[in-house]
Amino acid sequence: MRAPLVRSNDRLIAGVCAGLADHLGAPVQLVRAAMVLLAIGGGAGLLLYAWLWLLVPTADEAARNETRAFDPRDVAGNFARGFGARPGPADYRTGAAAGVAEGTAAEGAAAAAAGGAGAGTIAGYPDGRGTAAAVPSNGGAAAWLMRRAGWEIVLGAGLVLAGAAIVAQMAGFKVPWGTWLPLAAIAGGAVIAWMQLDNTRRAGIMDRAGASGAQGAVRLGIGLALVIAGIFAMVSGSISWDLMWPAMFASLAVLAGVALVLAPWGLKYWKDLEAERSGRIRETERAEIAAHLHDSVLQTLALIQNRASSEQDVTRLARAQERELREWLYRDKRQEQGNLVDRIKSVAAEIEDAYGQPVDVVAVGDTAVTDRHEALVHATREAVQNAAKHAGGSISVYLECRPGSAEVFVRDRGPGFDLAAVPADRLGVRESLVNRMERHGGEARIRNTGNGTEVHLSLQYPEEGTAS
Amino acid sequence: MTSPIRTVVVDDHAIFRSGLKADLDARIEVVGEAATVEGAIEAIHALAPDVVLLDVHLPGGRGGGGAEVVAGCAALLGRTRFLALSVSDSAEDVVTVIRAGARGYVTKAISGAEISDAVARVAGGDAAFSPRLAGFVLDAFGTAAVASVDDELDKLSARELEVMRLIARGYSYKEVAKELFISIKTVETHVSAVLRKLQLSSRHELTRWAVDRRIL
Repeated sequence: MRAPLVRSNDRLIAGVCAGLADHLGAPVQLVRAAMVLLAIGGGAGLLLYAWLWLLVPTADEAARNETRAFDPRDVAGNFARGFGARPGPADYRTGAAAGVAEGTAAEGAAAAAAGGAGAGTIAGYPDGRGTAAAVPSNGGAAAWLMRRAGWEIVLGAGLVLAGAAIVAQMAGFKVPWGTWLPLAAIAGGAVIAWMQLDNTRRAGIMDRAGASGAQGAVRLGIGLALVIAGIFAMVSGSISWDLMWPAMFASLAVLAGVALVLAPWGLKYWKDLEAERSGRIRETERAEIAAHLHDSVLQTLALIQNRASSEQDVTRLARAQERELREWLYRDKRQEQGNLVDRIKSVAAEIEDAYGQPVDVVAVGDTAVTDRHEALVHATREAVQNAAKHAGGSISVYLECRPGSAEVFVRDRGPGFDLAAVPADRLGVRESLVNRMERHGGEARIRNTGNGTEVHLSLQYPEEGTAS
Repeated sequence: MTSPIRTVVVDDHAIFRSGLKADLDARIEVVGEAATVEGAIEAIHALAPDVVLLDVHLPGGRGGGGAEVVAGCAALLGRTRFLALSVSDSAEDVVTVIRAGARGYVTKAISGAEISDAVARVAGGDAAFSPRLAGFVLDAFGTAAVASVDDELDKLSARELEVMRLIARGYSYKEVAKELFISIKTVETHVSAVLRKLQLSSRHELTRWAVDRRIL
């Protein structure tokens, strides 16, 4: 299947050539060379390039339009779109169309309509993704180098052209500087301004503040100045300077008048755009929440209704769902995954699922997990499991991390047991808890609080720079 | 205590309100209910209850939830005590309502007897700490023991730290008292002192902790 015509992110100027190459299935270098040849030979390449730049969307924009059309709750619509666009036999659609004509196959019509709507957007999607993913792996370094060196290459090409022109003049050819210099200035200015606009377009919703900062304004200004200077230079060739100033004032006055009239409209469109943009962001968030609730909560509620006869199953399902929802709602976004608190919480969740008893985890501080902490996590698992097996009732786990130490308390409300009374050949407690902790420079103490058992695991280690 | 504790239950879920009313024991008399911020403020002013059981997340008002109710009843704070009740795990929600003036925080998952104990404790002018709130306090104030107890708001004394840690480990007040060989009254004094520090402290670390979590 042919890749859709989108402007690539792997670009020198605007990604037109790379996108065109993807679309045509030709090597990028060839397309670029052809474009340069066309540009030198009479400027057709320049016009073609500018035209494609204006009208072809970027790959990001196309992908964004794609995801925007996707509503997680609209399963029927998504299905019709996804499967309507499947590369099927050619007569499938014509057959469906015939069905419409006969007025018999209503669902066929729906599939065909969805196929028609979706084909343009979805059909090439996997391919577009495929090439985008392939670029960094194949020629990642080269592409990066090209992008980095883009400006240098453009500048170098310009200098070479200028040098060639000077050499030609010295050799006796008459170079029309008066025409070429302003033209070059206009083209250069347009490219600079457009690239800036293009960047903000690429940045899109994500960070328009970041992309269109002071630097962007400066680039836009330089581009505009170059274009205006070029136009002046061209015009001043045909009109004398005396006429030039009044003409300029007159045109400025006209421009100002037009701007004054059009400003309210412009402002209105800008505001509409902003409103639409924020509305779209809200809509996306809402869709994400709806999808999550559907995937998790509704499913669990259905399961609970099925198992209403088994109290233990219901409790277990409800606890598991509660945990999952909490994780999603209250997760501390500044913490990265894989830290000690996460590990201990997942251990607690595992035991809770296996034994159906609530395990409450309270954590103070956090730290990255090292080999020593692994021992602590394993010992915690053993302790919580013991409590769940033998004690019943709720289990409290308290984790405290400080620079240079980590402590875990596991407390249950069971009848309790006496370590001394446990036979020496019973591996469980002695091996898993006490010896394991001791091997890793820690300590495990088990005591009967009179109202349950508490296991205290502590670990001291030399403070490292990474501990927090 | 002879006369029952007059209580108003504020929660936007009618099912939860009726369940809670059924769970509370004979010491507590529910004199009113409310489901929104405005309704709660109005009912509390009209009824002047001893204790308000207050959900942290409430519709209405300016979106401030339980904290907004407490702020709206600031004039009554000397007489009416607020006990926050929430399913929320986030420090933002819990610490905000505590700093607004609530005298405790319990999770909705705890049993009716435990909630009744907490209500009685709050009605008596003490603070009701759950393990999770104790965890937040330790997180905010730091877990390092301090050498000397300043008469300042910005540090926990060694004893207060011990009490907080035991509560975070799942000990009840009674168990804490037994563990530390002190009376329950002393435990309550320590917990109230911690509550006061949490409400009033402007300590640098606490502020930073709170700002990090967008509480202040």
